[in-house]
Amino acid sequence: MGRHSGLSLNKPSNTDTNHQRFQKLINTVVKRLVFLSALLSASFIIIVVVFVALAGIEPFISDNEGLGSVSFFGFITRTIWLDGPTFSSNMYGAGYLIINTLYIAFLTLALSLPLGVLTALFIAKIASRKTATVLRSIVELLAAIPSIVYGLVGAGLILPIIYNVALSFGIQTNGGNSTLAAVIVLTFMSIPTLTTVSEVAIRNVNPSLEEASLALGASKTQTHFSVLLPAAKSGIFSAAILAIGRALGEATAISLVAGNALSGPTFSLFNRTATLTTAMLQGMKETTGLDYDIRFSLGIVLIVVILITNFALNTLKKKVGNVHAQ
Amino acid sequence: MKKVFLALTFVLALSLYGCSEPETGFDTEADINPYTRDTSSGTRDGFMSGIGFSDAATDNSLLGENVTVSAGNDEVLQSVNTDRFGIGYISLYSVNDDIKPVKFEGVDPEIENVVDESYALTRPFNYITRLEDDYANDTEKQIAEAFVAFMLSSEGADIINDNGAVAVSNNGYWDDISADHPVCDQDNSGETINFGGSNSVEGIAKDLATAFSSRCGDVQTVNNHTGSSDGFKRTQGDEKDGTNMAHVGFASRPFKEDEKVNGEAYYGTLAQDAIVIVVNNENPLDDIDADTLKKLYQGEYSTWADILD
Amino acid sequence: MHSKRKVIDGTLKGMTIGAALTTASALFIVFYFVFTTGFSLLSFDLLVTDYNSVQYNAVLETPNQTMEFEKPEVIDSPFSYKYGIALEDSRNKDGESIISIAYVDDNSPLKTLLDKESGEPIEATKNNVITRISYEASPTSLTREGAASMAERLDSDTTIREIIFIEPGGGIRGSIIATLYLIGLTLVMALPLGIFSAIYLNEFAKDTRLTRTIRSFIDTLTGIPSIVYGLMAVSVFIPITARMNVADGLSIYAGAMTMAVILLPILIRTTEESLAAVPNEYREASLALGANDVQTTFKVVLPNALAGLLTATFLSIGRIIGESAALIFVMGTAVKDSVDPANGATTLAVHIWTLMSTEPANVELASTIAVIILTIVLILNTTVKLLAKKFDKIGNR
Repeated sequence: MGRHSGLSLNKPSNTDTNHQRFQKLINTVVKRLVFLSALLSASFIIIVVVFVALAGIEPFISDNEGLGSVSFFGFITRTIWLDGPTFSSNMYGAGYLIINTLYIAFLTLALSLPLGVLTALFIAKIASRKTATVLRSIVELLAAIPSIVYGLVGAGLILPIIYNVALSFGIQTNGGNSTLAAVIVLTFMSIPTLTTVSEVAIRNVNPSLEEASLALGASKTQTHFSVLLPAAKSGIFSAAILAIGRALGEATAISLVAGNALSGPTFSLFNRTATLTTAMLQGMKETTGLDYDIRFSLGIVLIVVILITNFALNTLKKKVGNVHAQ
Repeated sequence: MKKVFLALTFVLALSLYGCSEPETGFDTEADINPYTRDTSSGTRDGFMSGIGFSDAATDNSLLGENVTVSAGNDEVLQSVNTDRFGIGYISLYSVNDDIKPVKFEGVDPEIENVVDESYALTRPFNYITRLEDDYANDTEKQIAEAFVAFMLSSEGADIINDNGAVAVSNNGYWDDISADHPVCDQDNSGETINFGGSNSVEGIAKDLATAFSSRCGDVQTVNNHTGSSDGFKRTQGDEKDGTNMAHVGFASRPFKEDEKVNGEAYYGTLAQDAIVIVVNNENPLDDIDADTLKKLYQGEYSTWADILD
Repeated sequence: MHSKRKVIDGTLKGMTIGAALTTASALFIVFYFVFTTGFSLLSFDLLVTDYNSVQYNAVLETPNQTMEFEKPEVIDSPFSYKYGIALEDSRNKDGESIISIAYVDDNSPLKTLLDKESGEPIEATKNNVITRISYEASPTSLTREGAASMAERLDSDTTIREIIFIEPGGGIRGSIIATLYLIGLTLVMALPLGIFSAIYLNEFAKDTRLTRTIRSFIDTLTGIPSIVYGLMAVSVFIPITARMNVADGLSIYAGAMTMAVILLPILIRTTEESLAAVPNEYREASLALGANDVQTTFKVVLPNALAGLLTATFLSIGRIIGESAALIFVMGTAVKDSVDPANGATTLAVHIWTLMSTEPANVELASTIAVIILTIVLILNTTVKLLAKKFDKIGNR
C-alpha cells in the first residue's frame, strides 16, 4: 500500500501500487476524452460552413455536366428562379429571393417588435404577480411550439381568412398564399423570443431611474415609455437581432403559406412570395445534378445574409448606444 | 379599458368581415388566371402538344406573365376550385364536382369519346421498368415483372378503368397469370418496390400497388411521383441508383427517343387518358378550342370578357 | 394639459394591454385550431395502424347464393335483396369517392366471407369500403359506377368471383416508431458528447484563448438555421454512414447525427450551468479525501447535477420532436409503415409536412398529429419547470 498525499499528483511514481497507476491512467484518458469532446463540439461550426460552402460553390465553378457554370453575379442578382427549360439551363437566380427574405424579415420585426416589447412591459411592470407568472408561462409555451405547427395553423387558419378578406376587397390571392401570411406566421413565432429577452432588459434597468422619473411628476405610463424603454434599448435591440436571425432562417412554417413564387421580388402583401429557405425546400425531387446542388448555393447565400444582417444590426446597436447603463 | 374594448371590437369586426361569404356572380372584367403544370409534367407535354404549342412544354419563358405553375393535378384542381377566375388542365380521372370541365373543340371530355377517339386531347399512360440485370436481387426482379403482368391483367384493367382512364390491355385474370409468377406465393413483406414518375398516373399507380401488394405476398410499395421525366430517370436514367430510385416508372406522355434507348422490352402503354380543360364552377365558359387556349397561355388574352363572347 | 396627457397615457396603456392580450390569444388560437381540427381523428387506432391502405380480397364461403332479404324501413340507400346489404356513395378523407357499406343484415352471406389469400374468415361490417366486385359472367362492378349500380349488379349476376375491400390506413404508427428511434439514437450520441464537453469546459478547462475560442465556436452553432444543418447532413453525414456501411442514403442514423449537432449548444450550456451550480465545497471535500479530479467530477459533481441533466434531456427531446426542416433533407419525406433505422422515415413533425405538402392538404390528420406533438411538448415543458424548481431549491440550500 503506497502513501497517500493530500493532493494526488498525477505522475506515476515508483511508490504507486498498480491500482494507483491504473487510476492515474484512467484519469489521463478521461481528461483527454473530455477535451476531445469539447474540441469536436467546437469543430462542428467549421464543418457546417466548410461543407456547405464546398457543395455550394460547385455550381459556380464546375461545368455542371455540360450546362456551363452558373454565373455568381447572375445568381445573386437575377429575379427569376430559373430562366429556360429545366435541366437544360444554368440561369438560376436568387436575387429576388434575397430581397424577399430581407423584406419579410423586416416586416415581421416591424410587427412583432412592438407586440413583443409591449407584452414584456406589461409582464414586467403592469401586471400583477399572478398575471405576470401566467403570462410568462404562456410565452414560454409559445416558444416551445414547433415551427411546423405554426405553419399548420397558418395554412389551415390564416390562409382562408386572408383569402376571404382579400376577396371582399376585390383582391385576388392564390388561396391566401401571400407575403402577409408569411409575415403573420413569423410574427407569431418571433413574439416569444422578443418578449422574454425584452422583459429581462426592462427588469435590468436601474430602478432609481424609474423612481426619479416618478418623483419628477411623470405618470407611470409616461415613465414607462419615455424613460424605461429607452433605457432598455440595448437589450431590446439584442432581442430584435435574435428574432431577425430566426425569421431569416425559418423554413417549413413559411413554405406552407408563402406560395411558391418563381420570380419576384414581391413587395405586395397579397401576392405569392418565396424566400431563400422556401426555395431550398421546393422541388425536392431531384437528388443529383444542378437542380439539387443549387440548394447548397442558396445555403451559402443564406448564411452570408444572416451574417451581414447580424453584423449591420450589431454595429447599429453600438452606435445607438446605451445612454442609461445599468 | 375603453380603448381596449374599442380595439378588440375593431379586430373582431375585421375578422367577421373576413369570414363572410364573397358575393356570387361572375365578373367578366376580371383577369384570367391560367394554371399550368411544371416542365417535367407529361400532362403539360400532352396539353401543349395538343393545342399546337409544343415549344412551351419545357420552356416557362414562352408563357404569359400571369400563368401560375403548379406541382400536380390536385394542385391545379384546388387552384381552379378556389380561384374563381382560374383556368387549368388536368387528367380526366382527377375530374370531380369541385370544378367544371369544359368541352374541347365541341366534344365532351368523357370516356366514350376517348374510346372512339372523337375527343382530341388524349395522351397515353406509359410505364417503364429497370433493365433486367439492374435489380438488387432475383426476388426483386421477379416481383417487378409480376407487377407488370398484374398491371396488364383484367384486375389491372379494372383498376385503371375505375380511375377514369381507358385500359388498353386485358390479359385475363390475375389468378391464371400468377401461375407464371411463383414469387407471389412467398411472403414478400420484407421486399419493397418503388414506383415513381408521372403525377397524373399516381392515383392509378397507388391503387395498382395496393392491389398488387395483397396479391403478391404483401410486398411493401412506395409511391414517389414527381413528374413524367422522372419515370425514365429513376428506372434507367441518371437517378436509377440514387435515393429516389424506382423499379417501375410511369409517364403520361409518349416516351422520347432518348428514353426508348434500351429497347421495347422495358416499356409499354397501360392506358389512354384525356386531358380536360377545367374552370371554376361559377365560370360560364362551356367550350374552348386549341387556338384560344394557345393565345391564353401566351398571355394574349387578359380578361374573361375577351374569351366569353 | 392634463387631459391630453391622459389621452396619450390611456392610448399607450391600451396598446400595451392589447399587445399582451394578442400574445396570450396567440397561444389559445394555436391550441384551439389544432385541437378542434385534429380531435375528430384522434383515436388509439390511429397510433397503431399503418399509413398505407391495405386491400383485402374476399370470396363468398358458398357461392351462388339464393337467399332473399328484406330491406329494413330505415334504410334508403341502394339495397341488394340477394345479399342483404345496403351501399352508399361517400368520400374518404382524401376527398375521393368511395362506396361504403351502410347496413349488413345479420344473416348476410357477406358476414361469412373468406380471405382469398389466407383462407381466414372476413366479416363485412358497416362502414367497410368495397372497391370492386368481380364477376365471372359480366364486367367488374367499379366504384366509379356508383353504389346504386353496384347494388343492382349484385342482384342481377350471381357469379361473384371476388369482393374487394380497402382498409384506408392513414395511421401514424410508422411515424411514431421513427420518432422514438430518432430520439433514442440522438440521445445516445448527443448526451455523452455534450456532457463530456460541458465537463471539460466547466471542470477542467483553464481560461485560455483556446477555451474561449472553443466556447465561442460552440455558441455560434445556435445562430445557424436548422435547414442549413440539413444541407450539411446531406454532404457530411450521409456519405459517412455510407462509408461506414451503416446506411445508404437517407437514414435515421444520419438524422440522429444531425440532431445531435443541433442539440449540442443547448445541451452543453444547460449541463455547464447545472455543473456550475454544484457548490465548490463538494469538490474541495472530495479532493481533500484523496480522490483525483476525474473521480471527483464523475462520482461527486455529476450525480449532484442530475436534475440539470434531466432538464437538458427533456429540452432535447422536445427539440427533436419539433424539428422538421433538417430532417426533411436527411431522412426524407416518405411515410413508412415498417421503419428501419438504416432507411429514411418520417418523424411526426415531418409527417405533418408531408401531409400539408400534398394536394389537397390533409389538414385534419396533420392537426391530429399536431395535437399529439403539442401534448408531449406541454408535458415536457411542465416537467422541466418542476425540475427547475427542485433544482433551484437544492442550489439555494
